[in-house]
Amino acid sequence: MTDLLRAEGVEKQFAARGGGMFAPHQRLMAVAGVDLELNPGETLGIAGESGCGKSTVARLLTGLIPLSGGRVTYQGRDLAALSRAEMALFRREVQMIFQDPFSSLNPRMRVSEILAEPMVIHGIGTEAQRRDRVDFLMNRVGLLPEQLSRFPHEFSGGQRQRIGIARALAVSPKLIIADEPVSALDLSIQAQIINLLQEVKRELGLGFLFITHDLSVLRHVSDRIAIMYLGRIVESGSAEEVLEHPRHPYTEALLAAIPSVDPKKRRKHAAPKGEIPSPLAPPSGCPFHPRCPYAEERCRVERPDLVEKDRPGHRAACHFSEKLPR
Amino acid sequence: MALLEIKGLSTHFSLPRGILKAVERVDLTVERGETLALVGESGSGKSITAASIMRLVPPPGRIVSGSILFEGVDLLQLSEDKMREIRGNRIAMIFQDPMTSLNPVFTIGEQVAEGLRIHRGLNRAQAEEAAAEILAQVGIPAPRERLKDYPHQMSGGQRQRVMIAMALALRPELVIADEPTTALDVTIQAQILELLDRLKEETRMGLILITHNLGIVAERAHRTAIMYAGSIMESAPTEELFANPLHPYTKGLLASLPENAKPGQELATISGNVPVLYGGTAGCPFRDRCPIGDAGCAATYPEMHDAGGGHLVRCLKAHD
Ligand SMILES: Nc1ncnc2c1ncn2[C@@H]1O[C@H](COP(=O)(O)OP(=O)(O)OP(=O)(O)O)[C@@H](O)[C@H]1O
Ligand SMILES: Nc1ncnc2c1ncn2[C@@H]1O[C@H](COP(=O)(O)OP(=O)(O)O)[C@@H](O)[C@H]1O
Ligand code: SF4
Ligand code: SF4
Ligand SMILES: [Mg+2]
Ligand SMILES: [Mg+2]
Repeated sequence: MTDLLRAEGVEKQFAARGGGMFAPHQRLMAVAGVDLELNPGETLGIAGESGCGKSTVARLLTGLIPLSGGRVTYQGRDLAALSRAEMALFRREVQMIFQDPFSSLNPRMRVSEILAEPMVIHGIGTEAQRRDRVDFLMNRVGLLPEQLSRFPHEFSGGQRQRIGIARALAVSPKLIIADEPVSALDLSIQAQIINLLQEVKRELGLGFLFITHDLSVLRHVSDRIAIMYLGRIVESGSAEEVLEHPRHPYTEALLAAIPSVDPKKRRKHAAPKGEIPSPLAPPSGCPFHPRCPYAEERCRVERPDLVEKDRPGHRAACHFSEKLPR
Repeated sequence: MALLEIKGLSTHFSLPRGILKAVERVDLTVERGETLALVGESGSGKSITAASIMRLVPPPGRIVSGSILFEGVDLLQLSEDKMREIRGNRIAMIFQDPMTSLNPVFTIGEQVAEGLRIHRGLNRAQAEEAAAEILAQVGIPAPRERLKDYPHQMSGGQRQRVMIAMALALRPELVIADEPTTALDVTIQAQILELLDRLKEETRMGLILITHNLGIVAERAHRTAIMYAGSIMESAPTEELFANPLHPYTKGLLASLPENAKPGQELATISGNVPVLYGGTAGCPFRDRCPIGDAGCAATYPEMHDAGGGHLVRCLKAHD
């Protein structure tokens, strides 16, 4: 089976100003050699701390920003080699959902126009067919027909996210990339939206790339998980393997830091020490070594590769995975 | 005597569209050395409750009734001069976004030292010395050098630490932390919460922790109050609240957590949307979304019911 979307050694550098006003431009390695693949019908969850490169990966995979290195393939074909028509098809089949649906919805358009627009752009259907499809989508995401003529500001955050989801579904995508789709929502609304995303994923057999920093959401939605740190994937594997038997000390630290409502699950580890280093001056060797409780001399000089650990498909970038309890 | 005792607090905004009841008949008590968690969705009135305690409600908001006893003295009866002596000195606040309370044009040192000079009468050198000491206490490495830094030169976590340092510099008896870690990553969040816990142990201050993260509440708070549409719906010792929630809203929130479901399973949900707070007081604020509400709930605003053991619940059907 060929994968739907694949990244091979994907890199992104940004020009950044370091230090004061007159400091020379520095290069910031936002994404530093990321490999991942996404299969049809599968949800890959990506987690990591703020600034680790999650959104940049999403934008690279959708071709929204150019790569600095590596390649992205869609159904086996290099994005860089797609013809104009093939690129248009890619843009239709791969849709994005954002954290803040407000900034991604045109404030001057009515909901009916927002939902029809992607179909117009991709030349799908007659006007009457598009109107039918809009009605279907409204119903599917739990909005009322009388809300069609309203503007985005007349909706609550959760309702706006429903509009964002409906718009992504309008053109029958094969893959949805959702960047923190529930992070800005209220607690009682998060569960509604997670359920909706899960339902449409199953109904339509969609592939999903789900970016979140909330590990309990990640556990709930993901088949496979990738944990990022400073622009790299440091651990990946099946959701259960990664979360139950982390092979990277950073994953272990993240899991220890999540506050839990269940007294039995509560781990009384001390909080992981130290701050997230600046991506402008990443540490030598293993990027996690200044914060790692298992670090040894080797970690300061030699960067570990992402390699398979004791279970098939479970990879970690750590010299001393065997020190972690199994 | 409790450190803080709020009784029947209502804070309303007169807006062109009508009266917005941001805070309605709120009762809360905080003891010395205690962490009280105030939990609720956005717009439920948490920040306006905090602003009411500080007497900093933005116009056109107004405290329309109630009392706020701080060590037995009603803050709502004090002159503005007397209130200014309490604000920042005996009651301090920590905000979600450090940039709202850190001034970008002054150094960290100047800002942390300012309160010490004004309220404690220290001279510049003494205040700077004390500021460095406080920064060290909140875990800022090389504090003496960092005094000369401006806020933008620090990371989000460090700015949050500086804000905590500023809030605690004068050893307040009560600290109100409004979503102090919402903008931070989990590992930094855990560090900041541990810091607050440690400082609380050392000083026996009371802490009001405003958050919507139920995991944080379960791990850190002695007592928890659940706020909805301006009213406290339920409050209890934290363990009791999580083990035995009585209000339909609290039950719904706990059931909807992904953590409490099997992976992939459909999550329990609370139907409907977060309400707008206009309109009459008649009826239970949760009635439109309540799975067990009936006609009676639309007619009567539920009084707080004491279920025993310090467990209070505002629901007409939780009485039996
Ligand atoms: N246009 C840009 N110019 C310069 N630097 C950028 C740009 N976009 C992102 N960065 C930097 O690249 C790194 C990765 O950013 P990215 O937005 O991918 O992080 P993220 O993992 O999505 O974080 P968050 O959880 O906060 O959304 C960060 O250091 C960020 O500051
Ligand atoms: N300055 C203001 N003017 C008008 N309404 C306000 C103002 N500040 C807050 N409110 C309203 O008061 C209610 C409670 O707000 P707030 O206490 O900030 O909620 P929370 O902190 O729980 O998210 C909300 O409906 C909000 O819109
Ligand atoms: S390689 Fe070394 S420093 Fe890096 S995570 Fe593993 S033990 Fe820690
Ligand atoms: S009073 Fe009625 S509507 Fe309100 S929470 Fe109780 S049962 Fe539900
Ligand atoms: Mg992002
Ligand atoms: Mg608030």
